[in-house]
Amino acid sequence: METLGILGATFGAALAVIGAAFGIGKIGKAAMEAIGRQPEAADKVRTTMIIVAALIEGVALFAVAVCFMAL
Amino acid sequence: MGLLQPESGLLFWMCLAFGVVLFLLCKFGFPIILRSIEERKEYIDSSLEEAGKARQETMHLKEQGRQVMEEAQAQRWKILEDTRAEQEKVAGEMRQKAQQEAAAIIENARAEAQAQKEAILRQANEHIVTLAVAVAQKMLRQQLQDTKAQAELAGRILKEMDDKQN
Amino acid sequence: MEFFRSINKRILALAAMVLLVFFCVVPAGASSGGEGEDVVVKDIVLEHINDSYEWHIGKFWGKHVAIPLPVILYTKEKGLVCFSSSHLHGGHQYNGFAIAQEGDYAGKVVEILPCGSQIRPLDFSITKTVAGLLVNSAIVVLMILGAARYYRRNGKVDSQAPKGWAGLVEMLVESLVDGVIKPCVGPRYRKFAPYLLTAFTFIFVNNIMGIIPIFPAGTNITGNIAATLVLAVATFLVTNLYGTKHYWKEVLWPDVPLWLKAPLPIMPAIEIIGLFTKPFALMIRLFANIMAGHSVILILTCIVFVTVKMGAAVNASMSAVSIFLGIFMNCLELLVAFLQAYVFTMLSSVFIGMAQEGGEHH
Repeated sequence: METLGILGATFGAALAVIGAAFGIGKIGKAAMEAIGRQPEAADKVRTTMIIVAALIEGVALFAVAVCFMAL
Repeated sequence: MGLLQPESGLLFWMCLAFGVVLFLLCKFGFPIILRSIEERKEYIDSSLEEAGKARQETMHLKEQGRQVMEEAQAQRWKILEDTRAEQEKVAGEMRQKAQQEAAAIIENARAEAQAQKEAILRQANEHIVTLAVAVAQKMLRQQLQDTKAQAELAGRILKEMDDKQN
Repeated sequence: MEFFRSINKRILALAAMVLLVFFCVVPAGASSGGEGEDVVVKDIVLEHINDSYEWHIGKFWGKHVAIPLPVILYTKEKGLVCFSSSHLHGGHQYNGFAIAQEGDYAGKVVEILPCGSQIRPLDFSITKTVAGLLVNSAIVVLMILGAARYYRRNGKVDSQAPKGWAGLVEMLVESLVDGVIKPCVGPRYRKFAPYLLTAFTFIFVNNIMGIIPIFPAGTNITGNIAATLVLAVATFLVTNLYGTKHYWKEVLWPDVPLWLKAPLPIMPAIEIIGLFTKPFALMIRLFANIMAGHSVILILTCIVFVTVKMGAAVNASMSAVSIFLGIFMNCLELLVAFLQAYVFTMLSSVFIGMAQEGGEHH
């Protein structure tokens, strides 16, 4: 039973990572495109990108924390 | 799970350490640095502004100097021009005066000469007349004993004079 | 381009050579069998990440060198108890206290009652993490107060720009204030700049000191949940204690349709949960990033020792791999050390800025 729990926790972490990676990847893509289109706004775009990425990461970290608790 | 459980002792020390660091840095550290940076920034800004003003002033002064120079140049030219005109005028006047004087002198001389000439001529005429009269008297005394001859001669002379006049 | 191509060729050649040696010698290595003690990677990693009562510096000429640290305990019966952790070394009991070997309190000091059961006393020991924390705090304070002393001495406005240390600190402070704090917090940034800068410096120094493996450094502090918890709580307090009326109105009575808040306070509930999740995310992010970084570096380093049993060739080739990856990870961790301090500061600024907002909704 405990092995199953560990398995579930690791799977959960993996899923959280996939989701976060997907989301942050999309943000990075959008930010790169925005900077490419408007290089003069690079600073603002970067700041906003980090903030949004941090929000997504926050959610993913919640998931990882939950997985940690299940471990 | 163990990793996610904060240890009470560690929490206590962390609160203490971070609190002390926060207190020290917020009291003696960052405000001084921030104030210094800000003051320097303001100082640099005001210095830049002053420098800009000074530069403008200099430009202004330069411009003024240039204008003064130009004015002086123009005045110089004007003075030179005036002088030259004056000179020419004076020279012209002098020349004219001289010419006038010369003309007057010449005129005088000519008038005098004329007068003298006339006087000489008159004197000469008088002399000639006197001489002629004297000669004629003498000749007449000698030759003209008769009236006929006198009349003949007078006629001849008159004729001659007539011819001469024509 | 030429340069990269030549590098690529060299790397390919190296990899081919390593593989060749690997295939030639593997059978010999496999048959020779293992010797020496087993290396359990998990234990090594956990030993670093977890706390301990003595500061283990290393093993020199077969001897473990460790600095014993004071153990400070408080129990109801014995009051405040303070003794050196060297008394507990090797599982010894001292004054009724010992380090539990197993159970819920494994690795922690417990009081062993006469009946044999174990109780965990209130434990204020200067553990390895606490000692490292104190060292790093002293470094932070010296760093910033040293720079501040320069300004106090050369306080004249028209003096030259600072050189050396103060110049470095000034550059850091200026870039943070202009790049993060001013735009994120808004017009009242001056009030919060010292806290945010302190948080940045503290996290940054602790991160960097965590990467350096040599003695006074090398403690895992920002990769410890207690440390990040305190930092996150500090941000939470600063955000909410200085929050404006408008901010609290946005939290308790947000600008949404009435049915979302009137009979059942759905939105207010979500907003109030949001108050706590923001610093919680801050806490977990810093903790997870630093802990994961340390773990990865340790695991990569452990490859060298794990592969000892697999023969010389494997060991050599894997050591090369381990060193390359280790260097790469260390560079990455250097970046992460800065980036996490930066992100913590930036997000704290954003949260504080939200609580400072007067008119518009974010």
